[in-house]
Amino acid sequence: MTNMVSTSVRPNLLILAAIGLAAGVLSGLFGVGGGIIMVPGMVLLAGIAQQRASATSLAAIVPIAAVAAVIFGQADSLNLPAAAVLMVGSIIGVQVGARLMARIGEDRLRIGFAIFMIAVAVTMLVS
Amino acid sequence: MTVPEISALIGIGLTAGVLAGLLGIGGGVLMVPAMVLITGFDQHVAQGTSLLVIIPAAALGSFTHHRHGRLALRDAAGLAVGGVLGALLGSFTALSLDEELLRRLFAVLLLVIAARMLLTRTLIPEPTDPEAT
Repeated sequence: MTNMVSTSVRPNLLILAAIGLAAGVLSGLFGVGGGIIMVPGMVLLAGIAQQRASATSLAAIVPIAAVAAVIFGQADSLNLPAAAVLMVGSIIGVQVGARLMARIGEDRLRIGFAIFMIAVAVTMLVS
Repeated sequence: MTVPEISALIGIGLTAGVLAGLLGIGGGVLMVPAMVLITGFDQHVAQGTSLLVIIPAAALGSFTHHRHGRLALRDAAGLAVGGVLGALLGSFTALSLDEELLRRLFAVLLLVIAARMLLTRTLIPEPTDPEAT
């Protein structure tokens, strides 16, 4: 239903830049993409449809992560061979995951994964 | 890199990729703690490495979206203007922080994300398209 308005919406660029700023800070600070801020931000604050927001967020991640990666690289906080190996695994994994998506009960998976993440967080806190 | 290290990294990449594809969350949230806890990387190195790994995946995904006409380049440019500035701020802040403090802050981020996954459905980005990741 939201897809119907998506083509006519021309979101305010200032709002988008502000969402990008918050996502960029999160990305640089924690080494993540920032989609976790940008997608809900675009949907809730700029009225962009979910699917278009996901696609747009993905494109914005490229320059954001590139800038942050360069800064980490200059500080010698980047393992290039490890990154190459991870890339191979993750590109294969994403294809598999996307194909599995339709078959697995997403809610159960989401709850299971959230509990797993809490365990990981606790481990990181005590280690 | 040793053989066990390479195998561990391939496993981490695969798992992060599968979960990212399934749940529509980014690989970084999964890869960073895995690199810290399994391969014993320093928190800073894990984060820098994760950033680099994210780039080709995001580029590939957005190219696919662009071909299907789902990508609003104008909006992406708006995000990127703020995003690059934020990335500079965030990166320099992260690098100035103590390794242990950064690891703890990351753990808090994981808790926030987990709580949101458990409590709210609507706020969680869900790609309706399998190619979205």
